Amino acid sequence: MKRNRNAVRRLSRREFLGISTGAAAGGIVAAAVVGGIAGYFTGQTTAKPTTVTKTTTVAGAAQTVTQTVTQTVQAPGAKPIKAGYVYVGPVGDFGWTYAHDQSRQYADRIYAQASSTYIESVPEAEGAAAIQTLVEKEDVDLVITTSFGYMDATAEMAEKYPDKYFVHISGYRSGAAGNAPENMSAAFAEFYQLYYLNGLAAGAVTKTGVVGYVAAHPIPEVVRHINAFVLGANYAYRKRTGKNIKAYVSWLFSWFDPGKTRTATISLVEEKNADVVAFTEDSPTTLQVAEEYTTQKGKQVWSFSHYGDMTQYGPNSHLTGQIVNWGPIYLDFYRMVATDTWRSVDIWTRIGDYIPYKWRLPVEKSTAGKPEGTVYLAPLHSAIPSEWQLEIKRRYEEMKELIFEPFSPEGNLGEPIRDQEGEVMIDYDQIVVSKKTGEVREGGRADHDALWLMDWFVEYIESELPKA
Amino acid sequence: MVDLVWLESVLAGAVQAGTVYLIASLGEVYAERSGVLNLGLEGMMILGAAVSFIFANAFGHGLALLATLLIGLLFGLLLAFLSVTLRLNQIVVGLALTLLGLGLSGFITSAEIRKRILLSLNPEINQQALLTQQAPNLPIIKIPYLSDIPLVGKILFSQNILVYTALILAFVMWFVLFKTRFGLSLRSVGENPAMADAMGVNVYLMRYVAVMIGGMLGALAGAYLFIGYQPFWVEGMTSGRGFISLALVILAMWSPLRAILGAFLFGGVEVLQFRLQLIGVGAQTPQFILMLPYAVTIITLTLLSVESMKKRIGVPAALTIPYSRE
Repeated sequence: MKRNRNAVRRLSRREFLGISTGAAAGGIVAAAVVGGIAGYFTGQTTAKPTTVTKTTTVAGAAQTVTQTVTQTVQAPGAKPIKAGYVYVGPVGDFGWTYAHDQSRQYADRIYAQASSTYIESVPEAEGAAAIQTLVEKEDVDLVITTSFGYMDATAEMAEKYPDKYFVHISGYRSGAAGNAPENMSAAFAEFYQLYYLNGLAAGAVTKTGVVGYVAAHPIPEVVRHINAFVLGANYAYRKRTGKNIKAYVSWLFSWFDPGKTRTATISLVEEKNADVVAFTEDSPTTLQVAEEYTTQKGKQVWSFSHYGDMTQYGPNSHLTGQIVNWGPIYLDFYRMVATDTWRSVDIWTRIGDYIPYKWRLPVEKSTAGKPEGTVYLAPLHSAIPSEWQLEIKRRYEEMKELIFEPFSPEGNLGEPIRDQEGEVMIDYDQIVVSKKTGEVREGGRADHDALWLMDWFVEYIESELPKA
Repeated sequence: MVDLVWLESVLAGAVQAGTVYLIASLGEVYAERSGVLNLGLEGMMILGAAVSFIFANAFGHGLALLATLLIGLLFGLLLAFLSVTLRLNQIVVGLALTLLGLGLSGFITSAEIRKRILLSLNPEINQQALLTQQAPNLPIIKIPYLSDIPLVGKILFSQNILVYTALILAFVMWFVLFKTRFGLSLRSVGENPAMADAMGVNVYLMRYVAVMIGGMLGALAGAYLFIGYQPFWVEGMTSGRGFISLALVILAMWSPLRAILGAFLFGGVEVLQFRLQLIGVGAQTPQFILMLPYAVTIITLTLLSVESMKKRIGVPAALTIPYSRE
């Protein structure tokens, strides 16, 4: 009866067949499912032509140079074009990729002769293969890649297909910047001004004087958003009470994970008594948890919208938020390709870009809280006191003309902005571009490089910044 | 810093976060005790979450849980058919089922398809339920008297129905596994199927039953993660929790009771990592705490691969070995 089935054996032919059959069967089923999804959603949309006028802000690598160009979409002689998008996540994530897909549909709706296709959930390492598929199998004229990790693959493919056009979102390589072929452009829609306005709203309503932030990864983009939010919160809270705000940050090290985000939000509320929690994560989880506290646990906690309007996930806890529409940027590239007027650009858009009139409106006519341009404010909750609603609108309008800059002494009650060690980072006469390099420049407000390299926390943040 | 309220809130959080692991590992204990390794657990979990998301919006919680159990049962049946009847390599089959579950869950929840499924399930469904990516949470049920006990009351007796179910199941499943004839048969087919067969135990049937229980509980864990924990649907929202549960089974040394401790330990790490960050512990190395559950997973899996450790830990001797009557 002693039969040791555990002993190490050689793989028999029968077992090998078993393994390979299993692998093949699994592979076929999985491929069928994935193929089904891709096939079903590779839709194309076209709609009536509309004429849209808009403004472009072009920023050089070293210095912010604002240039205004106005052109119409339906230029004479425009030819039909096909665009292909590479998405890093699923279109249903309700965050980053969802916003890109909504914007793609927006661009297709407006540009009559454009059609588009996309590949979703592409791992960053497989960016090149996805681009190749779009160019060779789908025969697209314009490829738009929407994650930082696709940057090098995009540049490589731009080299390989010189007669096609490429746009990379959220990176720094482009023909304009001189580190990629001429048929590649870079674009980004920037939120930090809106985070500052969120901060104003937070400082205006907080009772505990503590705000929290659930953050994805310690990269300059997220650090800049946290700083902007906290500067705004401190501005409003100090004006109200004369005291500084206290801010805490909880790091997820993940772009989306509703389970962890829940725990992180609860920790901020219960550990540090935060009653306004902002976030950089691709789901409305933080807002949902805030709503739970507000409606079920008898404690008013506020949160925000991120990328899209999330009011429905926390109607009693939704203060305001930041919303993006990449559509106008995409349209601009559609137009360039269709009219053979391509020129490589490195664009980053803020409040006021891609709107018909760039000049500010009187506060009572402010468009804050309404869709416009590429980045705009979500509706303002009525719990924000009216004087602060006006202040938020005033700043929003001023930022359209870049009259007001959050990262300047003016954004910090006239005082220089200090980091956690008390060192002055931004003052009336000079700014520190990056703490790491220690480079100092003249000027009373953060410039493009200072924003893009931000590696320090403002003094009101109690949590440490993990070193990269 | 450490006072009663703090402890209460941390431990209650650990129980809530840990229940996902507990439910999934309970089922996996049975499957592995019968000799079948279910690497498809992650796929079953995510599919369970997706199904509970759709059914909770179409019909409410009751049917959502039933539908979840059913999909888990079907997936378990598929795994059993492939690995017990066809005797395919369990690791390959399991990974294929994980991929299938991830793909299928994304497919049925993608906006258009979900709309169609919801409309065909319940034509009277309201517009809001068609579009939303959330679902109502399972209600908290406070157990009278017991929930008033300091500390323990908040932690164990003010939770939702699935937390109670998981705890009761752990005890029941432990009793069945070690104190009943059925349990003895189940363990024997995982230790020495030929011998069990000779004694008159139907090896195939036992393995089918165990794997289907594993499938049902795997899917139920996904449903808990969604309607019982954080009800927002994103593709891949289980983010490796199925694999962590697999490691937990080893950590618990194939005992349902030890699984409770392990699960709440993992839940505790998940909660504490954020608390510690805020207190300032390991502020420069928060990744270290974040990776702990995965590190434990790797270590246990490594230990398992060492032949001498296998015996000491008590791995079911016939684990991953298909049985064929000769």
